[in-house]
Amino acid sequence: MKFAGSSCLAATALLMGSSLMGPTALAEPVTATKGESVDMVLLPKFLGILPFDQAHRGAQEAHEELENKGELLYVGPTPENSVAGQIEIMTTAATQGQDVVMLSNNSGDQIVPSAQAAQEAGTRVVTWDSPIPSAEGETVFVAQVDFNDIGVVMADMAHNIMGGEGEFAILSATPDAANQNAWIAAMQRALEGEKYANMTLVDTVYGDDQSELSYNRALALVDKHANLKLIMAPTSVGIVAAAKAMQDEGLCDQIKISGLGVPAEMVSYTMNGCAPEFALWSFVDLGYLTYYTSYLIATGAIAGEVGDEFEAGRMGTFSIEKDPTRDAGNRVLMGPFTVYNADNVEAAAQ
Amino acid sequence: MTGWLRSVHPQTLRVTALALVLALVVLFFGSQIDNYYTARMFNRISTSVAIILLIAIGQALVVITRNIDLSVGSIVGFTAYLVGDLLVAQPDLHPLVVVAAAMALGAALGAVNGVVVAYGRVPAIIVTLGTLAIYRTILVEYSDARSITTANLPKWVVELPQATLFSIGDLDIRVTVAIALGVALVVHLALTRLRAARRLYAVGSNPDAAAIAGINAERVVFTAFLLSGALAGLAGFVFLARFGNITVVAGLGFELKSVAAVVVGGVNIFGGSGTVVGVVLGTTLVDVIDNSLTRWALVSEFWRDALLGMLILIAVAADTLMNRYLDRLRRKRHMAELSAGTLPVPREAG
Repeated sequence: MKFAGSSCLAATALLMGSSLMGPTALAEPVTATKGESVDMVLLPKFLGILPFDQAHRGAQEAHEELENKGELLYVGPTPENSVAGQIEIMTTAATQGQDVVMLSNNSGDQIVPSAQAAQEAGTRVVTWDSPIPSAEGETVFVAQVDFNDIGVVMADMAHNIMGGEGEFAILSATPDAANQNAWIAAMQRALEGEKYANMTLVDTVYGDDQSELSYNRALALVDKHANLKLIMAPTSVGIVAAAKAMQDEGLCDQIKISGLGVPAEMVSYTMNGCAPEFALWSFVDLGYLTYYTSYLIATGAIAGEVGDEFEAGRMGTFSIEKDPTRDAGNRVLMGPFTVYNADNVEAAAQ
Repeated sequence: MTGWLRSVHPQTLRVTALALVLALVVLFFGSQIDNYYTARMFNRISTSVAIILLIAIGQALVVITRNIDLSVGSIVGFTAYLVGDLLVAQPDLHPLVVVAAAMALGAALGAVNGVVVAYGRVPAIIVTLGTLAIYRTILVEYSDARSITTANLPKWVVELPQATLFSIGDLDIRVTVAIALGVALVVHLALTRLRAARRLYAVGSNPDAAAIAGINAERVVFTAFLLSGALAGLAGFVFLARFGNITVVAGLGFELKSVAAVVVGGVNIFGGSGTVVGVVLGTTLVDVIDNSLTRWALVSEFWRDALLGMLILIAVAADTLMNRYLDRLRRKRHMAELSAGTLPVPREAG
């Protein structure tokens, strides 16, 4: 596979003589040729929340930078119809002859048949934010950060806030969300370490990325576990809802909120102590990098296989590697993420 | 044996039975869940009931006319979002103006349903299933992926859910609960005392007879939808205050919850009968079950919805069986009295 990948790369490099000169250029990362025509679809989990909108902005930035003559479509299902809607949009995109679908997968492996059909019809499927768990039907996954690292960061934030001991619970998005499930699993692995021996994860509940459901689930956790010290919410909708719930019930002294959130939405809760620490990466950058990766694959500049190295505009050089956090599949690793607290959240919220 | 049963009005009996079931449910969960009888649980359930009750009362008005309003969930989300948007732009608006705006917006959306159902003569289930999707889609388009966050709302809105009218010991009667109960009282008085409101029952129990009696059935049905919209709009405002963070999924699923509350509350799904007291009890029962199931350790996250659905079916089945039994009893008495020559004046109400 590796050999096939590099020979393909060589062939591509020869075709792109204008940007790569001579055989020595083979060691150089591939740069994109501007102005080609690639029709691209950015498909988020669902429409209507800030992180996906930021990813769209990043993709638009790359779209203009690369002077793509094709179209960039931002289409997604409504939240209550996320799983079926994603499968439908994937199928439609293949029928329309789109060149690439950039997918933040919310459908687990249920998306596989339609993704495979799309690949067979010539539509490449590049995932970002949330991969296809089995990697079937997926060309490559653009990972925001290493999924195992997220587990460690969440465990560490919990450790910091709880002073290393006590009970905590997880408030997640939907039970089908591949990324959240992977992070929770990674966090549980991290918790086996000696450092976290006095911390107990007592419950995991799902707020389905709906404010009111997440709010009620957070309160139910508090009622159910009398000694709860922290709720860890690895989803931007869940974390604000949980913080509002604790603030409303005057519980912020007793129970803290942490997880993954958008600074602009979290700033008031971090400043008043309800959510002293949380983390996130740049979704704008994630959209930008995903666009570059997809453009390069669709134009044939890279094959999308392990070992490919490429330039992604302002973000620098990236490479495709085997995804160590899944049994199969390849990834492009973005990173890093930022931990926000009272010191830096206000600046980031601007 | 059954003599006393015959002398009680069926609606009174239904309400008594419902109150009994509610008491049994509370006793049952009290024996299953630690720390169940707490002020916190009371406040939790009462504030949550406050929102659904407003929607359910509007739903009851529509169902009494032999129609149904499936669009209420989208109307709640629509008004919550737009009123939030209005408050972000104009934070100094007087609270009464804000509430009036929410109700007016809801009423306008309800009026669309009303016109098509009453004057277009399209079945309500089709019309409101359509507007359920249409209103939600307009919201998704309008929102442009932004969400309303607590940080941008005026202080009085964010603090409204905690505002307490008065307390009995630790039990708070919150302002939002008082608003909902106030609306229930007004509608109850209207339905029992006002001739105009009695027309809802007339149209629902027999539209042809109502028309012959000179009742403008179109106008009555239109008004029911208008009021249902206005109350859903008011619920949207309370929703905004309670959850603070509003995304495009706000209010998702409220249509089914409100129909469940109304039907469990003894409003006949085929129109013509129902009481506000029943709706209050039905809403409370459904919400107590929902809130308690999230804390019941024996039921997993995934079974809760199924169990809730089952309990609703049982409630409706029990109600139907009881009604049939009562009908038979009454018919028997009627026959007995006919043969004895002491036919009473029929007092069928509602």
